Amino acid sequence: MTDAELLARYNYDEFVPAKFEPWMNFDSSPTLGKPAPDFPLWHLDGSETRLGEILSRHTYTIVEFGSFT
Amino acid sequence: MNAIADRYAAQSVGSIFLYTHEAHPGENYPHLTSMAQKFRHAHALHDLLQVARPILVDSLDGACHRAYGSMPNMSWIFTQTGLPVYKADWTDARSVESAVEYLLNISERRRTGEKLVPFRVERLDFRNQDRLTFYKGLERNGPKAVKEFREAFG
Repeated sequence: MTDAELLARYNYDEFVPAKFEPWMNFDSSPTLGKPAPDFPLWHLDGSETRLGEILSRHTYTIVEFGSFT
Repeated sequence: MNAIADRYAAQSVGSIFLYTHEAHPGENYPHLTSMAQKFRHAHALHDLLQVARPILVDSLDGACHRAYGSMPNMSWIFTQTGLPVYKADWTDARSVESAVEYLLNISERRRTGEKLVPFRVERLDFRNQDRLTFYKGLERNGPKAVKEFREAFG
């Protein structure tokens, strides 16, 4: 899959099973208790940070993933 | 979830909302095609939905979201060193709070001399299914979002 295809498929344009079901991959998500992958993220002001940097600020951090719905 | 963030902030429990992609694209909040648009949607989350926690934005291709299973509204809890210690394929405040209470108690138990080692557990939690509120959210996205959800799930 090319980068352009990935962008289009991940940001699907309609909520139909053929487009959203391929992304429901919780069963293959990282294992608890093992180091999890780090990624760049952005604050609302556009400044870049990393997930690991955010997590390092507190003993525990709750991360809720979501959108408008 | 905002209330949990407030309740446990003093006990070194951070809380963030990570904006991913539009699960139900509609006329008002269509599918994402640029980071500029993604930032606009993330700002609106803060302004319209009163998400009081810090909002972080994932890359346009959802690299972080996809790596963690790309469910539309999942919650995870991580330690300071980046170890995931709780994951749920849907967000439920009671479930999250129960996990936070359990985790915070670990330090206290160790202080009293318990020798604790980690183990993994699976548990089936239960959340409220508030269809009315959910449909209001879909309506905010636009009639297209409502129509497509009805066609997919009735």
